[in-house]
Amino acid sequence: MASVHESLYFNPMMTNGVVHANVFGIKDWVSPYKISVLALLYEMSASKVSLPERRRLNKLILPLQQGPDLTLGQFLKMVEECCPQTAYAVKLRLHEMANGELKDMEYFFSTLSTHPSFDTEAYKTSVVGLFMRHMLLAYNKLSFSQVYKLYKSLQQYYHSHYAKPTDGQVSLPALVADDSDMDLTSIEDTVGDRMDKEELDTPLHESELRNDNTPSRGPLSQKQAEYFLARQAYLLKNDENKALKPAALQEELNNMLKFNPDFAEAHYLNYLNSLRVQDIFLSAHSLLHCFDRLILSGNEGKSNGDEGYGRSLRYAALNLASLHCRFGHYQQADLALQEAIRMAQESNDHVCLQHCLSWLYTLEQMRGSDSTVLTEDSVKMAAHFCLPYLASLGIQSLVQQGATQGKSAHKLMDALKDTDILHWKHSLSELIEISLAQTTSIWRMYGKSTMALQQAQLLLNMSSLEPVNFSVQQNNTEAFAVALCHLAELHAEQGLYSAVSEILQHLKEQFPPHTQHAKLWMLCDLKIQFERHMNEGKYHLAEPLVTAISALNKSEGLYRKAQVLKALNRSTEAYDVLQRLQARCEKTKSTEVVIRVMLSTAELHWESSGFSTALPLLLQALALARQHHLQALASETILHLAFTQLMLGVPEQALSVLHEAIEPVLAHGAVMDKGRALMLTARCQMAVAGFKSSGQGQADVRLAVLAVDTLKEAASYFSRLSCKERLRDVHYLQAQLHHSLGQTALRNKSAMLFRLLDQELQSPAPPVSMRL
Amino acid sequence: MKMAALCGDFAELVPLKKQLISVITLCKERGLLHSAKWASELAFALDPLPKDEVPPAPDFTEEDAQDLDALMLAKSYFDLKEYDRAAYFLKGCCSQKAYFLYMYSRYLSGEKKKDDETVDSLGPLEKGQVRNEALRELRVELSKKHIAGELDGFTLYLYGVVLRKLDLLKEAVEVFVEAIHALPLHWGAWLELSNLVTNIEMLKSLSLPDCWIRDFFMAHMYTELQMIKEALQKYQNLIEAGFSKSTYIISQIAVAYHNIRDIDQALALFNELRDQDPYRIDNMDTFSNLLYVKSMKPELSYLAHNLVEIDKYRVETCCVIGNYYSLRSQHEKAALYFQRALKLNPRCLGAWTLMGHEYMEMKNTSAAIQAYRHAIEVNKRDYRAWYGLGQTYEILKMPFYCLYYYRKAHQLRPNDSRMLVALGESYEKLSQQVEAKKCYWRAYSVGDVEKMALLKLAKLHEQLNESDDAAQCYMLYIQDIFSCGEQLEHAEVSTALRYLGQYYFKNKLYDEASLCAQRCCDYNDAREEGKALLRQISQVRDQIETPSADLFAPLSNNNTPVRRVSPLNLISFTP
Repeated sequence: MASVHESLYFNPMMTNGVVHANVFGIKDWVSPYKISVLALLYEMSASKVSLPERRRLNKLILPLQQGPDLTLGQFLKMVEECCPQTAYAVKLRLHEMANGELKDMEYFFSTLSTHPSFDTEAYKTSVVGLFMRHMLLAYNKLSFSQVYKLYKSLQQYYHSHYAKPTDGQVSLPALVADDSDMDLTSIEDTVGDRMDKEELDTPLHESELRNDNTPSRGPLSQKQAEYFLARQAYLLKNDENKALKPAALQEELNNMLKFNPDFAEAHYLNYLNSLRVQDIFLSAHSLLHCFDRLILSGNEGKSNGDEGYGRSLRYAALNLASLHCRFGHYQQADLALQEAIRMAQESNDHVCLQHCLSWLYTLEQMRGSDSTVLTEDSVKMAAHFCLPYLASLGIQSLVQQGATQGKSAHKLMDALKDTDILHWKHSLSELIEISLAQTTSIWRMYGKSTMALQQAQLLLNMSSLEPVNFSVQQNNTEAFAVALCHLAELHAEQGLYSAVSEILQHLKEQFPPHTQHAKLWMLCDLKIQFERHMNEGKYHLAEPLVTAISALNKSEGLYRKAQVLKALNRSTEAYDVLQRLQARCEKTKSTEVVIRVMLSTAELHWESSGFSTALPLLLQALALARQHHLQALASETILHLAFTQLMLGVPEQALSVLHEAIEPVLAHGAVMDKGRALMLTARCQMAVAGFKSSGQGQADVRLAVLAVDTLKEAASYFSRLSCKERLRDVHYLQAQLHHSLGQTALRNKSAMLFRLLDQELQSPAPPVSMRL
Repeated sequence: MKMAALCGDFAELVPLKKQLISVITLCKERGLLHSAKWASELAFALDPLPKDEVPPAPDFTEEDAQDLDALMLAKSYFDLKEYDRAAYFLKGCCSQKAYFLYMYSRYLSGEKKKDDETVDSLGPLEKGQVRNEALRELRVELSKKHIAGELDGFTLYLYGVVLRKLDLLKEAVEVFVEAIHALPLHWGAWLELSNLVTNIEMLKSLSLPDCWIRDFFMAHMYTELQMIKEALQKYQNLIEAGFSKSTYIISQIAVAYHNIRDIDQALALFNELRDQDPYRIDNMDTFSNLLYVKSMKPELSYLAHNLVEIDKYRVETCCVIGNYYSLRSQHEKAALYFQRALKLNPRCLGAWTLMGHEYMEMKNTSAAIQAYRHAIEVNKRDYRAWYGLGQTYEILKMPFYCLYYYRKAHQLRPNDSRMLVALGESYEKLSQQVEAKKCYWRAYSVGDVEKMALLKLAKLHEQLNESDDAAQCYMLYIQDIFSCGEQLEHAEVSTALRYLGQYYFKNKLYDEASLCAQRCCDYNDAREEGKALLRQISQVRDQIETPSADLFAPLSNNNTPVRRVSPLNLISFTP
């Protein structure tokens, strides 16, 4: 029954069982819009226009040629902005054709080919020349009925622009129906549709709504479609926010694929789009579909048929591996990768093998096992086969591993410098960005905040290096996310919280929460908030953040948990957590965390006055930090050591040890660290000077004055962070000092400040001596 | 009892036949040929009416009389496919009949133009833009009348078709249900509705008129939704209610049997159908599939020749010929005929899949992939195409890659052992033995068609040195092979027996071992090994005999694993 209505809606033209995607062999065809562009080109060559206007028109040509079809109104407006005179001429010519007869259009095309200035103005192989010749060819290929159809649609195209709403009413339904193909965005048409709907007086139906809302309507030619896909794919990679929204893009693609399912590239974009929304089913489906189609085109396209065919099979498996890798299915990824490797080996495809190898070490790394050997092999082989991208990607990965394993800094920096030369030589812009971000991270890890800051700024201020950038200034690649996060943390360390919130705001805009790299800034944001609350002593606010942090990064979460517990004086629990964390981190070889855990454990020992038990731990931490060149952590450890010594009653020793650390802390450290270091110095100075807390005995006045200055400085740092607890301690020490120096007024002032803060804080002051 | 299961009233077949006769006239007047054909077929299956019972021509209203001339003229234009002309002369007519024909001609004219446009379209991407321009206007007009309540059953049906073409499926379902209520006897409306029903829940939620034709619809729906048991029951009831001569029902039952792979039943029914209706072409492609599966060359050849004589430019004929050539291993020719079928109707699902199979046979993998992909485009739920894609990639030695396709196929047919075996094989190639074992076991549990799953499972156990499990599987395999009766080509009973013999020998169960060894000697490829094993057994027995046989008897009994099937059972399997 249904077969009465089901009709032959497409005509499989097959050779050897393969239906050709492009039945007519034309990539481009004539549409009314294209005729307008042709008319513009014609007028430009025919008439004299002033130089600036001409320049503006020239700039217009390429987007007009490549973009989707516009309505006449939009088109004329664009031309008018450049040169009103030409716009008028174009309008006139279109008017001639639309209001005349079929022969006027035919005449236009015939003059176009014989126009004298055609050869002189537009060189045959130039973009414009090619476009014109394409159009002429496409026009000449049209059958009689197609020419007539084209003419009809040209008339409609023209008249829909000029038709007054009142005129349009007469033959509305027909007009609306026909126009839906061409321009639903024009004003007249929406008016028409609205009336249509009023007439109907029924609820709106999806199909019509869809027609009205889609931004780029109208049939796309093969070329336009390719341009659209290329643009969207580029934007997805570099600046996702500028690309179409996932749903809108999906709709466009569905539309495109519905009637040309052979369009492998569209399937690929579909895959990318599904990745964006983390849809494993759809993305796997699209990827496989894409390669099913590619396998075909590869077969017929290449002269050495078999080669192209097998090639896409290998890359199909490789892509599948990367898909699984992305979703964290490591076993599946491994299987797919093995398959790709086997096929590449069988067909001696070294390039593909290298790609497989680089995925292999990435996979190993993601699984958390050591892949240095594999990576080294990959670099060597890639260099041998002249694959600069893979080679320097491998080096970067090696540098990353080396940095965590404590390779010496100059080697790493040398390697990075060498790859940088390679990058610039081959203009691998992506890798340049990664390299800069990596340098930032390495400097940060070594505790050189100024250098890190400089590298981050370098990356952020670099203008895009892509050969074609669709007005993308800043890419939203991982490298940028990393650099921005570092920047935010560096600012937070200096207590510049308004700047931090600005940076985070930017990150949020640039990397919306659903995107791939959003986790980076989320963690960074949480860490900054946590630190801030801890500094301000608002532990109850910090506690809920721990859960969120653990969700993003397990060991970081554990560490923060221990910190909160310690601050809340729940030492036993904190100690348990720290032990667990240490075991975990020694397994994953994250040295930084191990050292920090050791420091925290030492602090726990202090609380039970086990200063001597803390010493070996601290020395171990110091050795580890020095071995890995972690300067910030090393100086932190030294501070801890000095404090322990102070407590053990050897302030002279402590002071001399401190001298080693104070310089790097003041140069690179966070404000908090600076304050703590200074306070500790002051306490050591006081101890050396011979102050007793009772205020008796003979004091070294010179040292005492020095201590006053140091304390003043420390107070300024703490107040910048509004770290009231420590400020209270500082005021207490100040009061003591002033008292023993006999400066009563100053002592009273400090004492009053202490009293105020003490009242405000309510919690009883812990014994001043008990913490760093 | 069974009569009660039907909701319609079949007790009186005479009024039922009268209804049919009147609806045939109505459909014919309106050019709804397929509905008329269906109703006529059904009417033919019932006994003829006595003279005075034949229903008179429907009443002739004033309006009908007015439009009579225009209607006659338009109908003849319509029959000659001059739709625009027909519509022109019907404009302004006010009778319901004329109005339907007027709208219907406009609709068909639009469809025809759409097809012509497609050939003339400017490029492949523009094809998406080609559509029936008349649809929107028709919808506007029909919906106005619909709201005013001026539509009769036929125009409602047309309105539904227009809505469906505009992809407004929800509205279309509502309108079709309305159309069915207005005119239950119009089978076309039921059929359109059946295309829109996607699952059983949706079917249950529809409010359908309480009419005898509803049972036909339900049976049809059950077949579509793969609920074969229910469908067969419904059809059986209908036959008992008096439609035993209906070729429609017989063909539907045969198709249902085909779907559950009950090949013999289906073949018998198709043969019966051919006796009753020798010039029938509908459903003959299904028949040829059955003949192909059974490798019945002469019958298939006869069918092909017969159909060519009737009409060689039918999709079904081309498919039958394609199957015929395929069975004769002339795959190029087979592919050619499937291509021809697709030229006749590109939405013919079976042909795409079959063509894919042919290209696979010809080792043209890329063309095969293409064909399967087309099949999937037409119907995403075509498990054979997914399975075919999987096979293609398996041939290209991409076991991981093909997993995806086999999984898809398995999803669509969860109880089909072939997909499970294919999945298991792929897992085995990827050395994922655990998954492979699961697949094979499941394949056996759902009823293995090819009897291969157990053998493969046993071999897998053998590889993993799980000898108890392996022996268990071989045992089940032998049982399975002998119980199904017929001799299978690829049966590897000898392999199983050989392994079992060795297994029993190792476990010192010499009686069982010698039994297996003896049975081994029945097979050429295992004869030597069987004899060697027998010699070994007798040697060992000689050694044992000398000390004390009594001591060992209870021991060997204890050695027997509890779950093992008693080996003596073997005797009963002897063919």
